[in-house]
Amino acid sequence: MDDSLEGLSPMDEDLVETDDRKRKRNGSIDSTLQWSQWQLLDSILPTGGFAHSFGLEAAIQARLVSGPDDLKSYIIDLLDNTGSLLLPFVYSSTMNPTLENWQKLDRILDATLSNEVGRKASISQGSSLLRVAAAVFTEIPSLKSMRDVCVGSGSGVVSFHHAPVFGLTCGLVGIDSGSSQRGFMFVTMRDVISAATRLNIVGPMGAAVLQHQMAPVAEALSQKWMDRPLEDASQTAPLLDTIQASHAYLFSRLFCS
Amino acid sequence: MEKGKVVVEKVGPSDTDAVWIYSLTYGGGIVSGDSISVEFTVGDGCTAVLTTQASTKVYKSMGSKCSEQVLEARIGSGALFALIPDPVTCFSTARYSQKQVFRVVSDSSLVIVDWFTSGRHESGEKWDFEHYRSTNHIFSEGDQPVFLDTVLLEQGGATRIAERMHDYQVIAMVIIYGPKLKHVQDQVQENVKKMMSQQLYVPSTRLGHHAKTNSDHCLTRPAFIASCSVFGPKEAIPIGQG
Repeated sequence: MDDSLEGLSPMDEDLVETDDRKRKRNGSIDSTLQWSQWQLLDSILPTGGFAHSFGLEAAIQARLVSGPDDLKSYIIDLLDNTGSLLLPFVYSSTMNPTLENWQKLDRILDATLSNEVGRKASISQGSSLLRVAAAVFTEIPSLKSMRDVCVGSGSGVVSFHHAPVFGLTCGLVGIDSGSSQRGFMFVTMRDVISAATRLNIVGPMGAAVLQHQMAPVAEALSQKWMDRPLEDASQTAPLLDTIQASHAYLFSRLFCS
Repeated sequence: MEKGKVVVEKVGPSDTDAVWIYSLTYGGGIVSGDSISVEFTVGDGCTAVLTTQASTKVYKSMGSKCSEQVLEARIGSGALFALIPDPVTCFSTARYSQKQVFRVVSDSSLVIVDWFTSGRHESGEKWDFEHYRSTNHIFSEGDQPVFLDTVLLEQGGATRIAERMHDYQVIAMVIIYGPKLKHVQDQVQENVKKMMSQQLYVPSTRLGHHAKTNSDHCLTRPAFIASCSVFGPKEAIPIGQG
């Protein structure tokens, strides 16, 4: 209980600026960080996530997904796989956002993403994210310098995979590893649901409703798969992996992957 | 732990001389708690095939014990190693883990088939095992990772394994790697592309106002789904999945 309120009448209490109110007005360091966090998770950030359907378009054309119920199962399988396969990379890069660790994670992930479609999508999103992050978070010069080192050293050294870049950015911006890993699950869910609306599986309002309904599952999966070591990275949806890789065979397609 | 060693000498040139090795388990299957470890070295210019006599059956787990198989293979220069076993079939409640590590040099060739079925589906066991994990790693000189893959299927996850598999009963991964197999790689890529292009199409319900007279036909899933991806250092080294 705030001591400055002692002896005051209820009406006078409102006129006194308590420490608590002062904090809310000025904003703590944590509050400023929230603005960066919101910006990183906002779909308006130009990282090109909208170009990828995470295998959904191929799944529809293989008649594995035809309506909202199938879509829900698909998203759960996708998030489960994202958690088990990619969260270890996000975790490691957030906890240790150095050039050396990032390059190591990128190399390992490149050998792990044997699915060509998924691999290219990861590279495309990761490159865009790092380019944007380096330009946006100018108070963190290492984002730009790390990027410049790797762009300059020619192809093959770093592929700019999404999960390590996402974790690296969060780590350098100051976002904690729990939020970083949840954030990665969130952007995956956000993008696949967005793809679903453009593929006419669900309408925009239905998509919003679905996204909220899935939040508890997404949270449960984030908790299940977060904070795990790299050696444990595994895929849990081999059918989904096969289907995503077949995206290249689609005659007519809306998405890159 | 029992240990043994077998050495097979090369008899002729590698285009005519291939050593076929059949791995047999005592009793015909893998029992809860079994742990089998094999090390292979394929010398320079040699060709070896490792296969099985029948599908590997993994029996039910007793007291949550996991059975495992570990394979470590070193493949020399100009050598070819083909690992082409029958599929693994895990019975209801089985717990199984396998790890296969391949160490290659720049001109090694490798064929790896890793596949597993849903179980004894005639007895109604479809994706009824408790735990299945299969790891395949390929490292080139200097321990550089070329291919790292682990498939993990566990009951009690977000969805039942059977649901995740959408009525498909077998999953297979085929890795075709190395200079001796270029023509096979090209052929496989070609064939998978041809096959899948026919299987994938925008379902007519998506087109909205066109009435379908034969709805079931249009919405049946493909009996077989496959995809083929290139991986590894800039040379084409396809992996087919189905």
